[in-house]
Amino acid sequence: MTAPLRNMLAFFCAMAVLGLSLSVQFKAQNSPDRELYQQRQENLIVMVKNLTEKRQRLGQEMSDLSSQLYDRRNAFEDESLTIKSLEQQLARLEIANGTRPITGQGLEIQFQATSAVQYTDLIVLINELWAAGAEAIAVGGYRLNANSYIFYSDSPEGRLISVNNSPVPLPLRVQAIGNAGSLERGLTLPGGFMDIMMYNKIYPTLRQKESLDLPAVTSPPLYYYLSAYTAPAPAAAATGQAKNATR
Amino acid sequence: MFFVRFALKKKLTAILTLTLACFLIGCLFSLHQSTASGSNQSAALSERMDNLVSTISDLEREIAAYEGLIEQYRTELAAMDSGHQTAAIQALQEDLKMAQLRAGLTQVTGKGIEIILDDNYEGLRENPGGDPNHYIIHYEDLLSIVSDLKSAGAEAIAINDQRLIGTTELRCVGNVILVNTTRLAPPFVIQAIGNPSILWDTVAHGRYDYLRLNHFPVSLEVGDSLVLPAYKGELQFVHAKLL
Repeated sequence: MTAPLRNMLAFFCAMAVLGLSLSVQFKAQNSPDRELYQQRQENLIVMVKNLTEKRQRLGQEMSDLSSQLYDRRNAFEDESLTIKSLEQQLARLEIANGTRPITGQGLEIQFQATSAVQYTDLIVLINELWAAGAEAIAVGGYRLNANSYIFYSDSPEGRLISVNNSPVPLPLRVQAIGNAGSLERGLTLPGGFMDIMMYNKIYPTLRQKESLDLPAVTSPPLYYYLSAYTAPAPAAAATGQAKNATR
Repeated sequence: MFFVRFALKKKLTAILTLTLACFLIGCLFSLHQSTASGSNQSAALSERMDNLVSTISDLEREIAAYEGLIEQYRTELAAMDSGHQTAAIQALQEDLKMAQLRAGLTQVTGKGIEIILDDNYEGLRENPGGDPNHYIIHYEDLLSIVSDLKSAGAEAIAINDQRLIGTTELRCVGNVILVNTTRLAPPFVIQAIGNPSILWDTVAHGRYDYLRLNHFPVSLEVGDSLVLPAYKGELQFVHAKLL
């Protein structure tokens, strides 16, 4: 081999490796995984755990939906079977919407009469309970739904926490249906809700309950501005979704 | 003599090129390693990171596929013909339609507002020594704005294509924000259907204003016909039973 050829070959190899490592580098810097690489390992483990649980629940939902589809097809022109299948679908949505009273195991959080709890603490608590897998929540006896809000209202007795504008005086009880152990663990994580409360000298008590009864929402939401969207054509629906996804 | 010098010069050029290339590769490699592992962590640790990240990506892909199927099943179920329509069936189907709308399983449209929040990259660039936490949007910011929207009577809310339903939680793991266990990346686009002027006034005097005053790139706009996606996740109730 002549010297120029050898040089060229060496140069070519070096450039090839350079190109390769550049592309690897570029990938690591720009892929959506980049933010994951910036997280601590224990956080990634938590994410894997959460996603695995979610996949399992989605799998269950898929099998429920496909058996509903199967039932409906089989019930074709059979009125009583169709009604039964529709009622089953409706029952599940009524739990989700809080339009029927429900029962189940869960966790009860009690704030004492002298507690300095603020409405913002309750917003955090409720969010933590959903994150810990709560299936339904009631605050001061008011069942929550997608439109419920926690705020405060001024009354002759002073400033009170309110749920959907109804005051909920202290002592205050928050009830959540779900796996009682998971719900308690969700609140007692280091640096979690109970630690924040203790730091603010608020000492709520937690009690796991084998059976909690939650009432239905007092008034289901009314819609003045919202209506179901029907896509003018399949193509238009697709662009609408893409628009949302890229924002 | 000239020929020898010429050959030497050529060799020197080649050596220099190679040195430069190797140096560059070395730099890139080390940069890559530090991107991958964050700090001076061992190769084993970095391999474990790789595994975790790829597990997360795989799960997210699977979940997206499941959600696509769930949406398709729900659409199919809603459009199902029941042979002859009796009054009882029709009444139930109406109830079901309303219940699906309330549960967030329907794509909805209406007047409202759109809020965009982004990390304050410029602020961080100007203060490289500052605490990065002061320049990023946290889940608490989203939680606070969502609470403002609900108290202002928002009828439906979505953040970056994730529809908020009754049981939706906002959380963070590390500094990754998750809604419906789905990873969201900035900018965060919060859309809410409701009375635009009430929504606007409430949001503009809450957490949004704090972010604006602290130079976060944020915006607030009225939308005449916002379209919010349906919730594509599960509605599983293991413990809650109807009384």
